[in-house]
Amino acid sequence: MLLAKTLTSSTFKLALIAIGTFGVIVSAIFAYVYLSTSTFVRSRSDRAIMAEYMNLRDVYERSGREGLIGLIRQRTSDRAFTGHVYVLSDPSSAVLAANLGEWPPTAMAPSGWTEFRVSPVAPEGGGSPLVRGMIVTFPSGDRLLVGQDISDLDLFTGQIKTAVISGVSLIFVLAGVASVLVTRRTVGRIEQINATSRAIMASGLDKRIPLRGTHDEWDRVAENLNLMLERIETLMGEVKQVSDNLAHDLRTPLTRMRGRLEKAYHSQRFDEGAQALIGDTIADLDAVLRIFTSITRIAQIETRVRTEAFRTVNLVEIAREVVELYDAAAEEKGSCLTMIGEGEVPATGDRDLIFDAIANLVDNAIKHGRAGGDVIVASETVNGAPVISITDDGPGIPTNQRDQVFKRFYRLEQSRYTPGNGLGLSLVAAVARLHGARIEMSDNSPGLQFKLWFPAPGT
Amino acid sequence: MTGGHRRILVVEDDPETAGQLVEQLSTSGYQVDLATCGNDALSRGAASEYAVITIDRMLPDIDGIAVMRQLRDDGIAAPFLIISALGEVDDRVRGLRAGGDDYLVKPFSFIELLARLEALGRRSDTVAKETILRVGDLAIDLISRTASRRGKDIDLLPKEFQLLEYLVRNEGRVVSRAMLLQHVWDLHFDPSTNIIDVYVGRVRRKVDDQQAYPLIHTIRGIGYSLRAPG
Repeated sequence: MLLAKTLTSSTFKLALIAIGTFGVIVSAIFAYVYLSTSTFVRSRSDRAIMAEYMNLRDVYERSGREGLIGLIRQRTSDRAFTGHVYVLSDPSSAVLAANLGEWPPTAMAPSGWTEFRVSPVAPEGGGSPLVRGMIVTFPSGDRLLVGQDISDLDLFTGQIKTAVISGVSLIFVLAGVASVLVTRRTVGRIEQINATSRAIMASGLDKRIPLRGTHDEWDRVAENLNLMLERIETLMGEVKQVSDNLAHDLRTPLTRMRGRLEKAYHSQRFDEGAQALIGDTIADLDAVLRIFTSITRIAQIETRVRTEAFRTVNLVEIAREVVELYDAAAEEKGSCLTMIGEGEVPATGDRDLIFDAIANLVDNAIKHGRAGGDVIVASETVNGAPVISITDDGPGIPTNQRDQVFKRFYRLEQSRYTPGNGLGLSLVAAVARLHGARIEMSDNSPGLQFKLWFPAPGT
Repeated sequence: MTGGHRRILVVEDDPETAGQLVEQLSTSGYQVDLATCGNDALSRGAASEYAVITIDRMLPDIDGIAVMRQLRDDGIAAPFLIISALGEVDDRVRGLRAGGDDYLVKPFSFIELLARLEALGRRSDTVAKETILRVGDLAIDLISRTASRRGKDIDLLPKEFQLLEYLVRNEGRVVSRAMLLQHVWDLHFDPSTNIIDVYVGRVRRKVDDQQAYPLIHTIRGIGYSLRAPG
C-alpha cells in the first residue's frame, strides 16, 4: 500500500527525473575519462611503435633487405625488446625474418595501422596476446610489420571500462534506493496528515497529527496544521457556546411570555373573543418556537461530532416505525405508503436522528408526492453499505434545484403553498453529514427517489 | 420529615418563571418549595421528601445535572424533571429518561409540565397488578395485546395498541403529543407536523366510531385525554 503510494508519488517521479539527468551527466563524464585515458595510453605506445618503425625503415633504405634482416635478428634476440613484434616478408609473403611464425593473416593492408591477435607462443601462456603494429610495403614489394604487444594496455583500459561501468551502475542503484527511501518517508508523513484529516472528517476536530520530535520541516508543517486545528476547534466551541447561550437567553424570556399568556388564557377573566386571541397568540408563539427549535437543532447537529451516543441500529426497524407512524397521514391523503425490506440492515448512528431524517423524507414524499400515489420506503445492504431509499411518484425536483433544497428555508416554487418551513431537508443533510452518509437523489420518472447511503458498519 | 405526594421542589433561577411556576403549581393543588440556585437546591432537596423535583439545566452556580447527581448520591429517590433550554440534542439531558427521570425543553406549556409531573409523581405508587385494564366499556388485555369495547374486538396495529395502553394507563389525565411520541415511539423530539394528530385520529376512529360515547378527547393546544363519561 505504502510502496504503491511511494511509487506513484510526485516526489518519486521528480527523483527519477533527477536520477536520469544526473546519470546522463555522470555517464558522459566517465565516458570522457575512459576515452581520454585510453587514447593517451594508446598514443604513447603508438609513438614508440612509430619510432621503432622509422628506425627499421631507415635501415632498410640505407642498407637494404639484408641489413634489415640482420637488425631484426638482433632485435629478436635482445631481451630489451621483449614484447616487440617484427615481420619482414618478400612480395610473395614468404617470411624473411620475424619473431612470428607467419605473416598475420588478418593484417593484409598494404600499409598503415593494424591490430591482430597472435596464437600464443607457449600453449600455457594464457590468452592470445593483442598486437598493434605498423605495416609498410617498400617499393621493392617487401613488406615490413613493426608492432608491440599491447595486451597490458588492453587490460588496463578494460579495467578502467569495468570500473566506470560498475561505478555508474552503483550510482544508479544507490540513487534509486535513496529516492525510494526518501520518498517513502515523505509519503509516510503525508499519509499521516491524510489519515488525520480523514479521522477529523469522520469523527471530529479532537484529532491531532502526531509529531516525530525531529523538529524538521515535516514537524513544522504538522505543528502548524495542529495549531490551525486548535484554532478551528476553539472557534467551533465558541460558535456552539454562542448558540447555546442564544438558545438559553431567548428561551428564558419566551418561557416567561408563554407563562403569562397561558396564565391569562386560563384565568377566565376575558370574554370569548379575547380568549381566542390569546389562544391564537400562544399557537403562533409555539410555531415560532418550533422553527427556532428546528434551527438550533440543525445547528447543534452540525456542530456535533460523532459521539458515544452512536450505536448499531437496524435501519429496517427504524424505517418500519416511521412507516407505521406516517401510515395514517398517507391514508388521509389517499396515498399508499409501503415498506420493503426485512431482517437486519445494521448501520452505526443515532437512532433518534436517523428516525427524524427518514420521517422528514417520508413526510416530504407524502406531502409533495402525487395525491393518491405510491410512496415506497426500502432498506437493504448493498455491497456491505446500508442504504435506505424513499421513493414517490410525484412531480419530483428539477435537476438544477437538487442542491438548493438542502439550504435552510429553501422552498420549491411548486410547493410554496404546501405547509412546511423549508427546514426538513436541511435537517436531513445535517444528519447525513454527522453520520458520514451520502445523499443521492435520482429521477423515478415520474417522481423522486431519495437514497441515504450509510457507511458500512465498523468503518 | 415532612413529605407527601403533592409536594414539589422547584429549582429555577429566573425570578419571573419561578413565580409563574410556584403560582400555577399551587393553584393546581401542589405544595411548592422554591430554590433559586444549585446550593439552595442541594440543602432543600436533602432536607425534605418531595414527590418530584423540577430543576433548570443552567443554574448560576452548579449545573442542574450535577445537582441531580449529588442528590442521588445522597440517597434522594425523588424523580427529577430537568428543564433544559438546550434542546434534546444535548446528550446528557437525553440520557435522563434511562434513569426514569424526565426532561422538558424551554419554553414549555404549563399543561405539559403538569402532565409530566403527574406522570412522574405517580410512577412510584402504581404497580401494575392487573393484566386487563378497563375504562368504561373499553377493556384492554395486556397479555394478548388486544382491545375490545362491549366485548367487540378492536383491530389495532402494535403501535396503536401501545398508544391506547398509554392513554388508558393515564386515564383522566392530559397526555401531551410529546409524551405520546416519547412513550410510544421513544422519540425525544417533536416532529413539527401534525403527524401525531393524524395518527391518534385513526386510533380514535377505531375505538370510538359507532359507540355509545367517545373515550378519546382532544385537549386543545396540548394533547389528548382518555376518560369515560360520568
